[in-house]
Amino acid sequence: MSEQPHAAHDDHGDHGHGDVNPFVQHHYDDAKHQFDSGKFGIWLFLAQEVLFFSALFVAYILYRSHHPEIYAYAHKYLDTKMGAINTAVLIFSSLTAAWAVRAAQLRQQKLLLACLATTIACACTFLVVKYFEYTHKVHEHILFGTKFDPCVSSNDTPLATKLNLCPGTKTTIESREIVDDQKAHVLQVTGGCFPNVAIDADTTTPGVQANCKVYEVRGKLKKDKDAGGKEIFTLVETPGSRKDVTNRCRDPWNEGLAEEGVETVEIDGKKEEPEKFPCWKPSFQPAVCKTGWFFPWTCEGGKCERSTGGEGPFDSLAECSSKRNDAESKLKGLGKATVGECARGGASAILVDYNDKEERESPTLEEEGVKIVTDCTGATSVGAPDYFKATPPAPLAVGKKTTSSRRDLTEHEKHEKEHNLLYSGPPPEHTSMFFTIYFAMTGLHGIHVLIGIFVFIWLLIRATKGHFTPDYFGPIDFAALYWHIVDLIWIFLFPLLYLIH
Amino acid sequence: MATTAHHDEHDDHHGISHVASTKVLLGTGGSLLFLTIITVAATKVDFGASMNLIIAMIIAIIKATLVVLFFMHLKYDKVFHSVVFVSAILAAALFVGFTLMDSNQYQYTNIWHPEDPPPAPVGPRLVAPT
Repeated sequence: MSEQPHAAHDDHGDHGHGDVNPFVQHHYDDAKHQFDSGKFGIWLFLAQEVLFFSALFVAYILYRSHHPEIYAYAHKYLDTKMGAINTAVLIFSSLTAAWAVRAAQLRQQKLLLACLATTIACACTFLVVKYFEYTHKVHEHILFGTKFDPCVSSNDTPLATKLNLCPGTKTTIESREIVDDQKAHVLQVTGGCFPNVAIDADTTTPGVQANCKVYEVRGKLKKDKDAGGKEIFTLVETPGSRKDVTNRCRDPWNEGLAEEGVETVEIDGKKEEPEKFPCWKPSFQPAVCKTGWFFPWTCEGGKCERSTGGEGPFDSLAECSSKRNDAESKLKGLGKATVGECARGGASAILVDYNDKEERESPTLEEEGVKIVTDCTGATSVGAPDYFKATPPAPLAVGKKTTSSRRDLTEHEKHEKEHNLLYSGPPPEHTSMFFTIYFAMTGLHGIHVLIGIFVFIWLLIRATKGHFTPDYFGPIDFAALYWHIVDLIWIFLFPLLYLIH
Repeated sequence: MATTAHHDEHDDHHGISHVASTKVLLGTGGSLLFLTIITVAATKVDFGASMNLIIAMIIAIIKATLVVLFFMHLKYDKVFHSVVFVSAILAAALFVGFTLMDSNQYQYTNIWHPEDPPPAPVGPRLVAPT
């Protein structure tokens, strides 16, 4: 090892120690020969890495060119912020890796140690961020292949899932059978959550099914006093004004967008411009408080849906009722469709601050009111036969509408709305392919980062022992080159996976 | 340390390889971070789906070039290493290009239910041998 004929004629003899470097192998002419051979080797390895990853890029490009809609939908599941942080972290670590090479070349021992340590720290940060991203996806079942069964849409709207595995909302039902006073067979829910699909007709849920129609009724408002002497308005129906508006709020998932427009209304002198849209669908789902659970049924943003899970269990019925009342008060405003009314088996009315074209053009009708009536027939108890009979129908609630106007949505609002509806719906078919590709690409890249950490730890240990000198810094240079290619691949992965427009 | 201080100021071939100057390192790192911000900002603006993709890819290619030239020293390295690396990229480009060209040459696979087969193909039939 020490008997090197050329070492004595070293061009850079001023270093004086190149010839005694114990890390220069005897089969190389000198340190430079060894370095150049190593460098050629690492470049061949990097070329191989490019080809290695190119297979996954081909899969990505091919699938994206055939199914752009999947990418547009699915990338919203990814957190751009996390991706951007990781990009910055990797770029910074690339800088420190490159600086480590410089420090080794210039024999700046402390700087070398600092650069190597920073590179390791950045690589670990990268993996920690990845860990959070991956665990979130595991939790929400946003996984590859058949494991893709997301609990939420790509804008975090809860979804009904196929396998019913989501935490919180869609676990299995724990129940026990009880026999109540009327000897009816009731399954009391003791815990767990309801699968989305079971809410309607499942006998395990005490509830009522009925055929309901929703009518819009016009008439004159009449001042009245309620039992407590408080001034209220009732509506005297104009004969023939009844209009069937059942399912007027179309299901945007199946039938396209709901109605456009924003209504500004003044109810009891209070001006409101709700962002909600008219939406009347008969509710088959009562607010069940009997077992300490309730299931709100909401119409928001032009979309009517039952709650996917329900809330509870609550310790007491009182707590459940107050929770239910909270939920009902949240529904106040345009498009309010209160929970439970229909299922109680009688007709009830809900104040709806609704205004149409005809009315807008006839300001003389200012005192005219509109109400929405839900008429249900054939209410069939399911599970808890007498519970709802005992509950009287809710009183008619009508307010005084003084002024109203309607404006069209701006382009921006329209765009936003379409956007929200699109991304709140279920994923397009084959979306699992995006995540198969996502996990393959980021996973393989992550493995490279992990390997990089081990390599840099090894280099850090060697650096503390003072192994690296201006004559012998090949390992640092080669590891840095490897690290740069890892960074380079991420530079492409970031916009391709996280920044799809 | 004192003997190496003069190297800090300029690029040169110190010993057995090129030493990157602090200016080049910081400049490259800074540009990369800046371009990352630009690429995120560009996504927020709607230039049309394909235009946004093109912009993102151009920025990514610029970033990759910066990394390869300066962090990876390819600018100061042997030309042969550039040849190795660029040929790998060309090979990858051929791989992508030919696969894409080929991918549209196939019909979609029709999967149908056995009880509901698709209509029989229209066209000349083979005459049964007599």
